[in-house]
Amino acid sequence: MFRVISRGRIKSPWIFHLNTGSCNGCDIEVVAAFTPRYDLERFGCLLVGSPRHADVLLVTGPVTRQMLPRLIRVYEQIPEPKVVVAVGTCASSGSPFLGSEMIEGPADRIIPVDAYVVGCPPRPEAIVKGVVMAVMSKFR
Amino acid sequence: MDAVVAFLISIPISPLLSLLFEGIDRKLHARMQKRIGPPVLQPFYDLIKLLGKERIIPATASTRIFEIMPMVSTASSLLGASILLSNILSNSNIVGDLILIIYLLAMSSIALIVGGSASGNPYSAIGFSRKISMMIAYEIPMLIAVISMAFGPSPSLAVSSIIEFQVSRGLPLVASRLSMALAAAAFLLCIPAAASVVPFDIPEAKTEIIYGFLIEYGGPYLALAKVSKSVLNFTLTLLASAIFLYIPSLLGEAALLNLGLSLFLCLIVSLLIMFITITVPRTVLARLKVGQALKFYWVLPLTLSFSSIILSAVNL
Ligand code: SF4
Repeated sequence: MFRVISRGRIKSPWIFHLNTGSCNGCDIEVVAAFTPRYDLERFGCLLVGSPRHADVLLVTGPVTRQMLPRLIRVYEQIPEPKVVVAVGTCASSGSPFLGSEMIEGPADRIIPVDAYVVGCPPRPEAIVKGVVMAVMSKFR
Repeated sequence: MDAVVAFLISIPISPLLSLLFEGIDRKLHARMQKRIGPPVLQPFYDLIKLLGKERIIPATASTRIFEIMPMVSTASSLLGASILLSNILSNSNIVGDLILIIYLLAMSSIALIVGGSASGNPYSAIGFSRKISMMIAYEIPMLIAVISMAFGPSPSLAVSSIIEFQVSRGLPLVASRLSMALAAAAFLLCIPAAASVVPFDIPEAKTEIIYGFLIEYGGPYLALAKVSKSVLNFTLTLLASAIFLYIPSLLGEAALLNLGLSLFLCLIVSLLIMFITITVPRTVLARLKVGQALKFYWVLPLTLSFSSIILSAVNL
């Protein structure tokens, strides 16, 4: 029984994508991961528009001060069990913006992050791999 | 087969078949876009996952209605599917079950939008009003197309007697008369709106109002809503294949003796109908506005179904 449930979870991670002040480079690559060439849907992923439907939260951008309460709120709106993937160097480490007083991030200072996909922006293959690995390690 | 046994068998079979149909639909959709696509069993995985998730009820929702309505919706569409399936399996004669099935399907959509709009989210309110306008658009031509059966060559509103008539003629109903062909065309045109797939997915437009009335549903509630919707799509296609396009009737009397075989043929036909009326439109077309959809339905399918009634009055 437990194996059936965990298999269902691994096989259908639905993704909610939140831009926390990203430059839009990462967002374009997230969308590119759903195009026919990379086709994230072959792992059962769907890009959903409501956090209530999601299992995976993709965070892009270095979490600006404006986005802080929203990030927390969206994280809490996702029903358990959930996975967070930080996409891009900004979300993973804050990179060029680290130390700026407009920045509250990186993301793992605010919410628990399960996988980091680095790159500026990361390639769609890397995003696909990040999502699949995060889901595999968390739900197995 | 005994009617009660057939009904009891079809209760578990119909959701399984409809989820399978949905999986095939998603796979075909992906292949038409040159993607690999999710596995055919994907809807089952989604269902298992959703059932195992946390239940969240928004603070603004009226809890009871929000909780109960997905169950009402699933129960009524499941009941509609099982009545239809058991009729095909057993030739049991329930008077007027065609109207009952159509009513149960409308009931399942209405229950879902009522539950969704009880969540207090403004997007679900928009979805609610859009769905009501869409129902005004497609339910009327669809109902008239079904009622034109009563004026047709087999004046009956029972699925099994329509099937028996087709078998005795050795021809599916569309081929027997012009009026029935028009009614079938009107019914098929109404399927994409009733299933709310892309050209007519106005009430739940994903990129626009974020699934409309489904927006606050998550976890087990969403699972029930998904099952209800896929059973509804399956019932619509199976209904079209049973009352208008009963291909097993070409076998003659053997169709009534070999119920398993005729059910299989019927399912193949309904798969084809699903491909034509659900998969192809949602792959190649873009979303319309409510006004455009209303205009479309009140021009083409309504004319078709009315002319079907007029033609059958003069025995064509
Ligand atoms: S990692 Fe690069 S591409 Fe992504 S948001 Fe930051 S600056 Fe933009």
